[in-house]
Amino acid sequence: MATLLQQLINGLVLGGLIALIALGYTMVYGIIQLINFAHGEVFMVGGFASLATYSYFIPESWRSDWWVALPLMALGGALVAVILAVIMERFAYRPLRNAPRLAPLITALGVSVVLKEAVRLFYPGATAPVPFPRVFVDEQYTFEIFDGTITIGSTAILMIAVSVIGAVVLQTYITKSRMGRAMRATAQDPDTARLMGVNPNRTIVLTFVIGAALAGIAGVLYGIQITNVDTEVGFLYGIFAFTAAVLGGVGSIKGAVIGGFAIGLIKSLAGQYFPGGTQYDLVWIFVLLIVVLVFRPQGLFGEPERVRA
Amino acid sequence: MNIPIGWKYLAIFIPSVLGLIGLLVLIRFAWKKGTEYVTPRPTLSRPLSIGGAALGIVAALMPWATFVLNEGAYPDKSTLQFFDSPWAVSGFRLHTLLLSLVALAVVFAPIRKHRIHKALGWSLIGIALINAAFIAGNGGGFGAITSDGSSFAFGAVIGLVAGIALVFSGKAGPVEPIPHLSTDVSRVVAYAVLVVSFTALLLGVAMMLNAGGQGGVGNPYAGPIFLSLLAFFAGVLGALHAVGVTGWISRLSDKHKWFSIVVLLAVALGLPFTEAGTDYWMTTATNIGVYAATAIGLNIVVGLAGLLDLGYVAFLGIGAFVAANFSGAAAAKMGFELPFLVAVIIAAIVAGVFGAVVGSPTLRVRGDYLAIVTLAFGEIFKKSAQNDIGGLTGGANAIPGVPPINWFGLSFDKPLEIAGVKLPSGVMYYVLIIVLVALVMVVFANLKNSRIGRSWIAIREDEDAARAMGIKTGKAKILAFLIGATLAGVAGAVFAHKTSTVAYDSFQFIESVTLLAAVILGGMGSIPGAVLGAALLLVLPEKLREFADYRLILFGFALILIMRFRPQGLVPDKHRRAELANEGAEGVPIEELNLPDDTPGGAKAQVAR
Amino acid sequence: MRNQTVKAAVLVAGALLLAACGTNKEETGAGGGNQACDQSKGTLVIGVIAPQSGGLSALGLGIKNSAQLAADQANEKCAVKGYKLQVQTEDDQATAQVGAQAATRLSSNANVVGVIGTLNSSVAQSVQPILKGKNILMVSPANTAPSLTRGGEYATAPKRDFENYFRVCATDDLQGPFAAKYLVGKAGKKNIAIITDGKTYGEGLAAEFKKQAEKDGAKIAATAKVGERDTDFSTVITSIKGANPDAVYYGGEYPQAGPLSKQMKDAGLNVPVMGGDGIFDQKFIDLGGKEGDLATSVGAPTETLPSAKAFIDAYKAKGFKDDYSAYGAFSYDAANVIIASLGKTLGDAGTWGEDKRADLIKNTQDYSAQGATGEVKFDKYGDSTNKLLTVYKVTAGKWAADETGTFGG
Repeated sequence: MATLLQQLINGLVLGGLIALIALGYTMVYGIIQLINFAHGEVFMVGGFASLATYSYFIPESWRSDWWVALPLMALGGALVAVILAVIMERFAYRPLRNAPRLAPLITALGVSVVLKEAVRLFYPGATAPVPFPRVFVDEQYTFEIFDGTITIGSTAILMIAVSVIGAVVLQTYITKSRMGRAMRATAQDPDTARLMGVNPNRTIVLTFVIGAALAGIAGVLYGIQITNVDTEVGFLYGIFAFTAAVLGGVGSIKGAVIGGFAIGLIKSLAGQYFPGGTQYDLVWIFVLLIVVLVFRPQGLFGEPERVRA
Repeated sequence: MNIPIGWKYLAIFIPSVLGLIGLLVLIRFAWKKGTEYVTPRPTLSRPLSIGGAALGIVAALMPWATFVLNEGAYPDKSTLQFFDSPWAVSGFRLHTLLLSLVALAVVFAPIRKHRIHKALGWSLIGIALINAAFIAGNGGGFGAITSDGSSFAFGAVIGLVAGIALVFSGKAGPVEPIPHLSTDVSRVVAYAVLVVSFTALLLGVAMMLNAGGQGGVGNPYAGPIFLSLLAFFAGVLGALHAVGVTGWISRLSDKHKWFSIVVLLAVALGLPFTEAGTDYWMTTATNIGVYAATAIGLNIVVGLAGLLDLGYVAFLGIGAFVAANFSGAAAAKMGFELPFLVAVIIAAIVAGVFGAVVGSPTLRVRGDYLAIVTLAFGEIFKKSAQNDIGGLTGGANAIPGVPPINWFGLSFDKPLEIAGVKLPSGVMYYVLIIVLVALVMVVFANLKNSRIGRSWIAIREDEDAARAMGIKTGKAKILAFLIGATLAGVAGAVFAHKTSTVAYDSFQFIESVTLLAAVILGGMGSIPGAVLGAALLLVLPEKLREFADYRLILFGFALILIMRFRPQGLVPDKHRRAELANEGAEGVPIEELNLPDDTPGGAKAQVAR
Repeated sequence: MRNQTVKAAVLVAGALLLAACGTNKEETGAGGGNQACDQSKGTLVIGVIAPQSGGLSALGLGIKNSAQLAADQANEKCAVKGYKLQVQTEDDQATAQVGAQAATRLSSNANVVGVIGTLNSSVAQSVQPILKGKNILMVSPANTAPSLTRGGEYATAPKRDFENYFRVCATDDLQGPFAAKYLVGKAGKKNIAIITDGKTYGEGLAAEFKKQAEKDGAKIAATAKVGERDTDFSTVITSIKGANPDAVYYGGEYPQAGPLSKQMKDAGLNVPVMGGDGIFDQKFIDLGGKEGDLATSVGAPTETLPSAKAFIDAYKAKGFKDDYSAYGAFSYDAANVIIASLGKTLGDAGTWGEDKRADLIKNTQDYSAQGATGEVKFDKYGDSTNKLLTVYKVTAGKWAADETGTFGG
């Protein structure tokens, strides 16, 4: 029982992280039907950028106070992620908007390789995992229940909280604000949206920016939770997040969050209870993905795919 | 308060990036202005070209480095003093001299010279930049290529100016069309031309492979030597193209298709007899062959049927593991050894079956989603192989000790002696893989022009329309996966015996990306393209070992840039390039089709066909 | 006119940018080296095959630099008469296929006398046959799989397949049991969980550990595997936590082991993690290795051996960018084995050629000297006779030697 509960908690923590990244995938796909393969790497870069903020940009005396250091790190991570996303959109994806659909996908693959390698080559010590300071309150809360104990850390609680709050804010923004309406309009029909006075380019950039900022924040949260960053994590979590977005239905905010938590739970429960244990948890996630795609291609909360004019 | 160190770096970093961008913008601006200036002034062409060629000759005879570099003399006496010994220049300086002399000769020849000068000019610019960058970067700063104390070396700078002058001389005046040489020549002449040109190609390839040795401590400058030679060959090829020779040869080989194929095969088999006939290149060439065969298989799936597969290397792995298990290796699951040919067939069948399984979601899943599904299959394969699923893959221990192929007592890993010529070990693998690639190419070519090939292309263009035309799209798509996977399985069987250890980590995601990059670089749907792409992606890292660490990042940039600027690839497929690059079916850019054409029935008429 | 202004601006900007890089002219003639030695016969090459990129590059770079150090010292001391020695490093990216290609590249160079490598046993499997085909000496600083020297049936029917292969480090079937003896016997842990990373090194080591630990009366409470690229180990930790282990043995390398140790502590499983020489690196502690974590490593602690001290001092004096790491001293010894055997083979006037390769291997077999890791000598399978092992413990943020001994069965 304690094990099950603990695994559920592990799953939710991982799920919160995946959900934050998945939001970026789902928004970008929703608006320009592009699988932004590089999004996972943007998350990784966000982690490294926030680490750089901590180790190279804020004075040592500020580092001990988490309410100073953590927001600055999040800012640094998100800022670099956003700059990257804007450059990426402007120079790699925008010129290909009317190209055959394979072209931007392959470009995205190229961008992801470039980002990963750039960090590996130019961040000091990034050829191996780099230690990350646990800037936040370092507390572990332990509870005694029926047949054992369960533990949850303060960073884990922060992770879940941020992802849920982030998703709620985002959902409100998209449904209520003027810019959000523009986004939905562009997603449905860019040409008509333009006629209605929406600037599609600006809207698309904004979408990239929001997604990247969330990924940057996810990078910080990942760092303080796992206490190291590594150039490899972008690919792995990118895949998880993409799977979550597909599972929830690409284009749906609610879907991405629920999908994220579902993937997190599956990973931890499969690792514990399924044959093969942690060695095959990835396999179970992929099996689920394939099954969902084959039997419900629009995902749990998505709309059936439209053929774009 | 101490300012943290990052801000200082940022204070250097941002201005340098801005400066670099500014520099690029300036260069681009100057280039544009220069072009605008010379284009309406055809009279400038002659003085510019004579001046450029003369400068090129001077550059070749000038020293290029002011002092001997740390790792020993830069290749071919680049510190050689001005006119000390004009006949002793060699290497890239000899190439510079040759290019400049040709440029000078062309000025006085009664042919269209604009394109020739442009090609030669670009080649000179390339050689100058490569060597300048290397000497300055490796030898220490700007002083190494200009003047340093008592010695001076402006070779690179003058070479660069010469190249620019030549390029601009080619821009002065209207664009000239490429001459269209007639292919109505007698069979004997055509055959002779083909044999000579393919042999020249072979010698050129061998020379490039051997340029600067194998690198490493013995040959620290292999990288720049190779790149310079590449720039030189590019210039020569460009000049030949400008006089219409390459187009002529390619049309001749189209006309005498079977003869060209035979010659090409013979030429490829001749590689072990050239200077590139070493163990090392035989091994590399075999690896290229394995990748090329696999890339051709992938080309069926991606290039023809338009189904992006990101887990394709799994089929290579399946083929390799199957062959390893039937090889009699100690760690193999099957305790017996099957003849290689039988093992190949089993490997192909098993890989093909898995291909069909992986392809089956295509019935429901489309486009980008399919890419993810295939990626998922690739990862599942890797995980399973890593965990020694069913005891078939050896797990973390891999399957070591796969014996070399042995036919009629001839072990494939031993050196060979034919008629007194000693051939390197691994040559039999090379022969095997050449034959295999040739077979795969034939299969692909026939498929492409068959009914099923046409239905693949139809599906790629518009699946709904294809279905409306009565194509059974589901069956066709699964068949594409099945055939592609079969080819990869065959390649995997060779791979297993050649590498002797089959481990799961040879079949990771990045290998799938490499294969995809080979297909894209060469040109989607193009047969020679896939082979060329695989060759480039494996040869370049071997030659440019200095940049080994940057291999993947360059690779990523290449993917981005190709998609942006040349989505049809290096050797585009005829139909494909028409859609991807707004070109006519014969590869002539649309804007050039509007030029006055001096050859009736030439490019323009063929487009209209 | 305007064009010229622009061009001038371009040139000036270019000059400024390039000048910013500065000139660092430093001419040392044709590659440096002490000209006091006779090097008239040319250059002989010692190959190194080890990962130079990727997660294990810290170990690989240490191997490369230490080999370089040995070669430099040999050049200064004229250890090989008439020849200059150079080190050529090939990156195997820790994968078998790339390693095989690197081996082919080295083996097609007639001047390559011997190869130091590899780091990973899985890569060694594919390198061995290629080098054997050319009869090239191979000395590994780090391969621990027993089968490399004694064949697949190493425990029952040992058989040497590769006469050209030697190693200066101890094998899993020494290191694993030694760790078990310490953990069960001395530390008194009776309920041990085993976690592995699914790679050759970790699996082999953990299997040998398990055999001995069970023999000594400990209970293997749980076993689990982590993915080689995993970073979040919460699932694995929870799954073993139920069994209440009092220690965890980790078969794998430091990039995973460090974070694992830290996350165990976070999850309320505050028991020591023990591993092999793959986690014996300062990076393990930087990444979260906690006080009381244990690692075994081959040889006596480097501080206690004068020869080891000399190595460390020389290494530091060279100013390499990277640390010598877990296998630096072994790589140094391996290089010295090759160099000394080569010097003996060539004598005062010998000339290198293919016919010398067999002599070189024979001389290596007979080699015996005191190295940076203790006595370096080979048994009839090519294994090191140095069975000395040391247990290290994380104390005050550093690895500190805890116990040195030999495993006696």
